[in-house]
Amino acid sequence: MADTVTVRIPAALRPQTGNQESLTLTGACIGEVLSALTAQYPDLGKRLYKGPQQLNRFINIYLNDEDIRFLDNLDTAVKPGDEVAIIPAIAGG
Amino acid sequence: MDLSRYHRQMLLPGFGEEGQKKLLASRALVIGCGALGTVIANMLARAGVGHLVIVDRDFIEITNLQRQVLFDERDVAEGIPKAEAAKRKIAQINSQVEVTAIVDDLNHSNIERIAAACDILVDGVDNFETRFLVNDVAVKLGKPYIYGGAVGTVGMSYAILPHTPGMGSAWEKAGVATPCLRCIFEQAPPPGMNPTCDTAGVLGPVVSIVANYECVETLKVLTGHYAAVNPCLLHVDVWANTTKQLKVQRAYEVGECICCKKREFEFLAGKFGSSTTTLCGRNAVQLTHHPDAVGSHRLDFAQIAERLKSHGTVSVNKFMLRAELKDGGQPYELTLFTDGRAIIKGTKEPTVARGIYAKYVGG
Repeated sequence: MADTVTVRIPAALRPQTGNQESLTLTGACIGEVLSALTAQYPDLGKRLYKGPQQLNRFINIYLNDEDIRFLDNLDTAVKPGDEVAIIPAIAGG
Repeated sequence: MDLSRYHRQMLLPGFGEEGQKKLLASRALVIGCGALGTVIANMLARAGVGHLVIVDRDFIEITNLQRQVLFDERDVAEGIPKAEAAKRKIAQINSQVEVTAIVDDLNHSNIERIAAACDILVDGVDNFETRFLVNDVAVKLGKPYIYGGAVGTVGMSYAILPHTPGMGSAWEKAGVATPCLRCIFEQAPPPGMNPTCDTAGVLGPVVSIVANYECVETLKVLTGHYAAVNPCLLHVDVWANTTKQLKVQRAYEVGECICCKKREFEFLAGKFGSSTTTLCGRNAVQLTHHPDAVGSHRLDFAQIAERLKSHGTVSVNKFMLRAELKDGGQPYELTLFTDGRAIIKGTKEPTVARGIYAKYVGG
């Protein structure tokens, strides 16, 4: 049974998710959770990925406040109740 | 010098007269004097940071007053540059503080000279190209750099105490150096990808919150309290009621940062970043991006048109987007191509064109 996690969508990407702020998704690892997300919202996939299994370098994904690049990247395992946050760099000021 | 005005601050543990004297002997570079920059300059001047160098390329307009706390209606009416208006206001706030106002575009040809004379670089910038340039200089010269950014109801702040191999910085010796901005954000978002404050709006308080976090870290650094500096990337959304302390410390040890690990300063070398050409006889400036900075990314005209429609007439076809904009009372015509190239009509000044691009397209 795959695990249920919450994915937080940043304001900049909400036009691609029908303005949803957060979604509940299932998957055993970050890659599976994001696949479930982008299957539901293909336009979001175009923003997140530059190629198969390759995230754009200006998008950061945090699992419970830890950057997945310094865990096991898309293979990072998730457990029920985890929070995944998509955090783009903020340029304004 | 009479220190009585700083009494409440000197009462704080670990601050005292000694901390105050350190502040008064310090020189901070405030980069950008808009929403973040005015809050930063205001607070640092009141705290008694002895010398502020304020750089900004822009003029004040009425839509700035909602959040840019150093400016008022008289400044708008007089049409004076932001850096000069800030200097005038700070002279009234704290005459013990010396202000150098620089009305210019900060770029790879002038930043190193300006930053070299300062003890800390504080971010009031509105685009990522300049931030990566500041980050390059901070790492190269071994200067602390305090990042801040805000748009909509969301903001971020982060203190960079750069790794300084062989330079023997106090924070390196204390074991509290932090990853640089490019360890965390490897690449700037491509042009047109993210909303800007001028297209998506921005809430005054979120700017103030972020800028004040930047000031807190600045005061810690300038008084030598390096161990107290927050090692996390702060992320707040004041509308969604979330505050995150993102753990980024491992980015340096695990990552292969081109800037602070390999010490290649691509933005400072002018390798990346946009370049401008004044189009002779056309009262227009062309702005182009380095191909590596854009890659295969193509601008989403529909999304950009949606963001710009509240500013004027926007027309789109397969090849280009054209928008008639008014900025500071002046009309401009912005023509955007799918690879991010732009022609900004209505000015011959590259600095003005860069400003328009950063505000309405972003990047």
